[in-house]
Amino acid sequence: MNEDKELVEKTLKGEKKAFEMIIQKYQKPLLNYMGRMVGNMELALDFTQDVFVKVYSSLNTFQPQYKFSTWLYKIASNYVIDYWRKKKIIPLSLNQQSNDGSEHFSLQVPDDEPSIVQKFEIKEIRERIEQALSMIPDYLRELFIWRHINGFSYEEMAEIKGLPVGTVKNRVFQAKEMIRKLLEEKL
Amino acid sequence: MNCVRIEQIYLYLEKELPPSESKKIEEHLSSCLKCSKALEERRLFLRAAEGLPAFDVPPDFTQKVMAKIFPAEVSLFGWLAALAAAFSSMIVALLIFVLVINQNLPRFLLSFTHTLGNSIKNIALVFVKFYKLASLYFKLLQQFSQELLKGLSLLTTIISPEVQIIIITITLILVFSFAYGVRRKFFAGEEP
Repeated sequence: MNEDKELVEKTLKGEKKAFEMIIQKYQKPLLNYMGRMVGNMELALDFTQDVFVKVYSSLNTFQPQYKFSTWLYKIASNYVIDYWRKKKIIPLSLNQQSNDGSEHFSLQVPDDEPSIVQKFEIKEIRERIEQALSMIPDYLRELFIWRHINGFSYEEMAEIKGLPVGTVKNRVFQAKEMIRKLLEEKL
Repeated sequence: MNCVRIEQIYLYLEKELPPSESKKIEEHLSSCLKCSKALEERRLFLRAAEGLPAFDVPPDFTQKVMAKIFPAEVSLFGWLAALAAAFSSMIVALLIFVLVINQNLPRFLLSFTHTLGNSIKNIALVFVKFYKLASLYFKLLQQFSQELLKGLSLLTTIISPEVQIIIITITLILVFSFAYGVRRKFFAGEEP
C-alpha cells in the first residue's frame, strides 16, 4: 500500500519508471476485471490501456489517505459505466443502489438441492462459471469479479462503490447464488 | 441451533464471521447432514470461482501504455544524427550510382549539379512568371471593383430612391429569368 503511494509520488515528480512499475503491478488484475466485464479480449486490452492513461492524467487528484488500488478500480468501474452508457447497453446499471435497503436477499438451505460436486469436475465447473458470469446483471458481476477473482475485501469494494459493507456482502451473495442456480439449471 | 442460512455458510467459508459465530456453525454442522452438504457444495463452488484462469497480458502491453502516455521525444542530437545518416546515405547512393553507370565521378558531379541547377532555374522562372501574372490579375480586379463601386455610388446620388428600387427589381427579374432560361435549356425534355 505504501509502496503504491511512493510510486505515485515519484511519478508526480517526473519519474517515468515509477509509473511503469504501477502498470506492471496492476495490468493483470485490471485486465482480468475488464475482460470479464466486457467479454471481449481486444476491447478489454484497449480499455485497460485507456484506464492507465486516465489514471496517469488524474494522478494529481489522488488523495494519499485512500488506497491506490481502490482509486484505480473506481476509475476503471466508471470507465466501464461510461462505455455502456454511450453504447446504451446498460439495462442494470453498475451504479444501481438500493436506497431503502429493501434489496436484502436471504436463503435457507433447501431440503433437496442438486449437487454440482457429484456431477462435474472442477475444471468443468470453472468453464460453466465463466459462461454463467456473462448472464448475471452487470452490477452483481462486477462485485463477484472483485471479490473472487481480484481478491478484494468487502470493505474495499464498499469504498470503491460508495455502498454500505452489508449491501456489498449481500450483492456478492446474490451473485454467487445466481451463478450456482445457472449451473444447476444446466445439469 | 436452527439450520444455517446460505449467506452465513459463504461468510463462514470466507472467514468473515466472528469466532463465536463460526463455532456455533461448526457445532451445528457436526450434527446436520443437510447443512454439511450445502457447505461442501459452496466450498467447491468458491474453490472453482477463485481458481478461474487468469487472462494473459501481452508482453509488450506495458511499453504500449507507456508510449501512449509519454510519446517519444526526439532530442536535438537525435535530429542531427538522423540528418547525418540521411546525408551519408545520399553520398553512398550517389557513389554506387556512379559506379554502376561507370562514369567519371568529377564529370558526373559536374553534369549532375548542372542539371540540378537548370531545373531549379526553370522552376524559379515559372514561379516568377506565375507570380507576376497573378499580381497583375489581382490589380486589374481591384481596379475594376473600385470603378464599379464609384459608378454605383454616383448613380445612387443622381437617381431617386424610387427609381433605384425599380432598377433593382428589374435586375432581379432579369437574373431570375436568365437562370430559369438556362435551367430550361439544360433540362429540356425532363419531367419537372
